[in-house]
Amino acid sequence: MAHLRLDHVGLDFCVRTHGRISLKEYILKGMFRTRGSTSTTVRALDDINLDFSEGDRVGIIGHNGAGKSTLLKVLAGIYLPSQGRRSVQGKIASLFDITLGFEPEASGWENIAFRSYFQGETPKTMRSKLHAIADFSELGDFLNMPVRYYSAGMCVRLAFSIATAIETEILIVDEVLSAGDLAFQHKARKRIEELLARARVVVLVSHDLASVAALCERVIWMDHGHIRQDGPPKQVIPAYQAMATAGERLAA
Amino acid sequence: MQREVISNYLTDIWRLRYFWMSLVRVDLRAKYRRSILGIGWSLMHPIFMTFVFCAVFATLFKLDVRTYAPFLLVGLAFWNFVSGIAHQGCQCFINGEAYIRQQSAPMAIYPLRTTLACGFHFLIALVVAILLSFIFGGVHNALALVYLVPALVMLFLFGWCLALLCGVLNVMFQDTQHVIEILLQVLFYLTPIMYPIDMLAQRRIGWVAALNPLAALVETLRRPILEGLPPSLSAVAMVCGLVTVMLLVTAFTLSRLERRLVFYL
Repeated sequence: MAHLRLDHVGLDFCVRTHGRISLKEYILKGMFRTRGSTSTTVRALDDINLDFSEGDRVGIIGHNGAGKSTLLKVLAGIYLPSQGRRSVQGKIASLFDITLGFEPEASGWENIAFRSYFQGETPKTMRSKLHAIADFSELGDFLNMPVRYYSAGMCVRLAFSIATAIETEILIVDEVLSAGDLAFQHKARKRIEELLARARVVVLVSHDLASVAALCERVIWMDHGHIRQDGPPKQVIPAYQAMATAGERLAA
Repeated sequence: MQREVISNYLTDIWRLRYFWMSLVRVDLRAKYRRSILGIGWSLMHPIFMTFVFCAVFATLFKLDVRTYAPFLLVGLAFWNFVSGIAHQGCQCFINGEAYIRQQSAPMAIYPLRTTLACGFHFLIALVVAILLSFIFGGVHNALALVYLVPALVMLFLFGWCLALLCGVLNVMFQDTQHVIEILLQVLFYLTPIMYPIDMLAQRRIGWVAALNPLAALVETLRRPILEGLPPSLSAVAMVCGLVTVMLLVTAFTLSRLERRLVFYL
């Protein structure tokens, strides 16, 4: 049984206004006990209670900076909640910033290999997948070149092909619905749908409300680190849209 | 409870072994991409360094080149390992940021990557040193090389912890890499790498080496290779103490920061 649950989860970010703190600053602060002017705390998530179980397809929507991606990172176990509890049952995998994390000096093939190993594959399970991933990326002989020479679009293709070849029970996805050029997007769309169908629990963030409505049975609307609404797409998406257009009218 | 935490942590690292092993391979290959000698450079570097130091110091200190060269080669191999780990360890989490932000994995795999890449070059240099020592000095007692096995395990653990601590410190305070550069300069002269320990004793500053755990570490490598003897008990005790302290500090650091480091990146 795949299960993912957050109980009263809160998250505070300590944001440094001037990049990293220096040793000098740290020592001076300790010596003179001055008020820390270099860092401010941001409350990114506040008292989040969520419960996802077998078969859930959940979309998260909200304006920029509402805490959507942060919530995903907490769900994926990358960020430790400052308060509250997170509990998981089942193998969890996440697709965030998939175009990051290539080793530029390594070839496409090598990148396929170790990205897959990172997602928990072994050489044995890799062997059957390697060519499927390569075929899907349509990169052909380019795979023998170091990734350094790839165009941005080629990187997206490769990243998408690797990331979506994953086998998992709980899948957490951040904005990967639009990958590559037009022809690839069509393929990518189908692939995502297959991936979503295989996973037992899916949580995704997207600004593409039509996709969210089509793919999800439950939508969560995040607003300033809170859950504003949680319900079926028919109900939440129109409310969100009404709110967004009202904001526009107010501004105009 | 704690034992379970540690064993689970190690299992997680082991489960991702194909990941970090292939990263190490990429690192090694990237270093020598487009160079004609390729991996041969890891051989050439310590050999030429030994040439230079021999030319200068063997004449200056009036040392016999045939014993001094292997002595120096082991020392330099050791030092390149330690300083490489301290330098590159500083960057280990910063280089791994893209992975850290994508999926939760044990933090210790990133310094492990650094340690293994440095360890590879170290092993090559060490083999050269052993061969050179046998050619110049004859084979005293080849069986003594068995003593190298525990010494290398200790050195590996030391390196892993060092890379991790440097990496964490550098994420918290960017000044670390500069401080470490200076510290390494100082330590290089305080550690008997270029000069034999008894040279200090003659000048009545033997305590400098006696208090230096790095001196003990290098001794556990030198004695079996150069003299065919087990390392002295005091050196073994010191190395064990050093590694224990490093492991405890590392475990404490990880228990506090493992899951929070991502916020500081």
